[in-house]
Amino acid sequence: MRIKRALAITKRIFRGLRHDRRTVALILLAPILAMTLFGIAFSGEVEDVDVIVVDHDSGDLSERIISNLDDKTLNIRFMDSEQNAVKKVEDGNAWAVFVFPEDFSQNIATKNAVIHLRADKSNVNVASAIAVTLREAMTETLTQAGGEMPISVSESPVYGENAEFIDFFVPGIMAFAIFLLTTLLTLLAFVGERTSGTLERLKASPMRDGEIVLGYVIAFGIIGMVQASLLLIIATVGFNVTIEGNPFLAYIIVALLALVSVNLGILLSAAAKREAQAVQFLPMIILPTFLLAGIFWPVEAIPSFLRWASFAIPPTYGVEAMRSVMVRGWGLGEIWMELVILLAFALVFMILSVKSLQRGKG
Amino acid sequence: MEEGLAVETRELVKKYGNFTAVDHLNLKIDRGVTYGLLGPNGSGKTTTIKVLCDLLKPTGGEAFLLGKKVGDNSIAPRIGYMPQETALYLDLSIHDNICLFGEVYGMNRAEIDSAEKNLLEFVDLTKWRNTPVSNLSGGMRHRTSLACSMIHNPELLFMDEPTVGVDPELRASFWEYFETLGKRGATVVITTHYMDEAHRCGKIGMMRQGKLITEGSPQDIIQSTGCGSLEDAFLELARRGGHHAD
Ligand SMILES: Nc1ncnc2c1ncn2[C@@H]1O[C@H](COP(=O)(O)OP(=O)(O)O)[C@@H](O)[C@H]1O
Ligand SMILES: [Mg+2]
Repeated sequence: MRIKRALAITKRIFRGLRHDRRTVALILLAPILAMTLFGIAFSGEVEDVDVIVVDHDSGDLSERIISNLDDKTLNIRFMDSEQNAVKKVEDGNAWAVFVFPEDFSQNIATKNAVIHLRADKSNVNVASAIAVTLREAMTETLTQAGGEMPISVSESPVYGENAEFIDFFVPGIMAFAIFLLTTLLTLLAFVGERTSGTLERLKASPMRDGEIVLGYVIAFGIIGMVQASLLLIIATVGFNVTIEGNPFLAYIIVALLALVSVNLGILLSAAAKREAQAVQFLPMIILPTFLLAGIFWPVEAIPSFLRWASFAIPPTYGVEAMRSVMVRGWGLGEIWMELVILLAFALVFMILSVKSLQRGKG
Repeated sequence: MEEGLAVETRELVKKYGNFTAVDHLNLKIDRGVTYGLLGPNGSGKTTTIKVLCDLLKPTGGEAFLLGKKVGDNSIAPRIGYMPQETALYLDLSIHDNICLFGEVYGMNRAEIDSAEKNLLEFVDLTKWRNTPVSNLSGGMRHRTSLACSMIHNPELLFMDEPTVGVDPELRASFWEYFETLGKRGATVVITTHYMDEAHRCGKIGMMRQGKLITEGSPQDIIQSTGCGSLEDAFLELARRGGHHAD
């Protein structure tokens, strides 16, 4: 093993980028775009839901509740006819109708006051936002009236005191972007090596298979670090994400993920004879990662019969470790298990990828 | 292994599945010779070269280069290989391609620079040095490929169809260069299916269906068959050997 020969491969990958604007753009813009788009789209709050209030209440309780409805979540319109209001929902022009009956205020004394909710529950997120908003307004109104709830929750968060959805999501998208882009770039570059014949030229030289792999690992490890830095800058500057833990640990996770991904890319390239075939592998990498790695929803939300699949893919550990460092502020002492598992994946993939280079000799 | 031989194969066999591409090949190539491995498409030339360069494992038999058994780590630094495909990094310039292969062979900057200067002059690409290979014509890529396989001044050079798609003028200059290499003591093994250019080789081996059907200097082969050209000699030998091959 000569590090100098491996570095010759690393250098040629970077030299190639000088003339390849498309790939440079992919390396730099893809993470930025992904972070920005997802960051804006998944801000996590449902807002501006059109609802209609039909207020027949002869007393003032309904008005107090209505004034407590969160007007950021709901766009409230008033109508007189329940029938016409429901028609709006049926036509898809509103999500829900709140109907306060004439005797609403009176009935509160007999604890029999009922708000009729006629909602379009076809979108669960919207439906639950409506229900939650309404319940909050009711509780608020009760409190103002001096009617304390007998049970209350006093919160003092252990982790994530100021965490919003974006804080949960940034570590996930980071691990995802690094894993996906590194695998993709290595796959394409290596299919090129195989089809153009440059791989054979290298193999006829004193270059060892392990040195070729190492050269790729170093190059794409560096590229991964650059991408991670970009992502962290956008997250902290653009979206006010705070990194609770040591950013240096985040880079270690990125490096391990890149190591896994490079070798996965080389492995896949052995199965793809042409660039077009390589691209067909993409959904096979993107989908499971997207769905199972715990980027958008927790691994706990995946049905238990499928959960083993989450634990069988490397990015799950990258996401988990990254999130622990960035949101919980955990250190090496707490995330070492994820790091060890990632390293194990990396070593196994590396052995297999070097083997895949030796195969094909026939 | 006989002293002085650059290449020796003993009953070398290479099969792809059930198909025998190289069939009990016995080659002996002396050092300093320009050796032409001739044969029509599919006769097993590329397969032979790849086995010799340790890119394919032989199914049977043995092969030796420069006195060492193929697979020995000390061989690779001493040989050069120009594949049949262009096998260059298209997004790199000529200079960057040459640098890469120089570095791969452990050369330092000064060594690469001086070797590159001479090679580029010879293949007439000096003024294209910094152009990406993707912007070059087929002939220029071929010449770049030649330069890359020779940057480390190998003792033994394998070139697989180096003159395919190269215009006649350049082809003549290639052959002149191969002869100078031979005079410097390097052994050059060239495959070609152009019989007409093979008379410039010191020695020729004719392959057909994975077998060597004759070997010798171009003059000897022409004389022994009584034919007017190597092309006719090949056809004549193929006819004579045909009864068991077809
Ligand atoms: N990887 C392979 N798998 C199966 N058959 C092959 C393979 N490579 C070459 N062949 C077959 O082996 C024969 C010899 O091929 P090759 O060595 O490339 O011949 P040449 O270089 O003389 O044209 C041909 O019939 C070719 O089709
Ligand atoms: Mg061939």
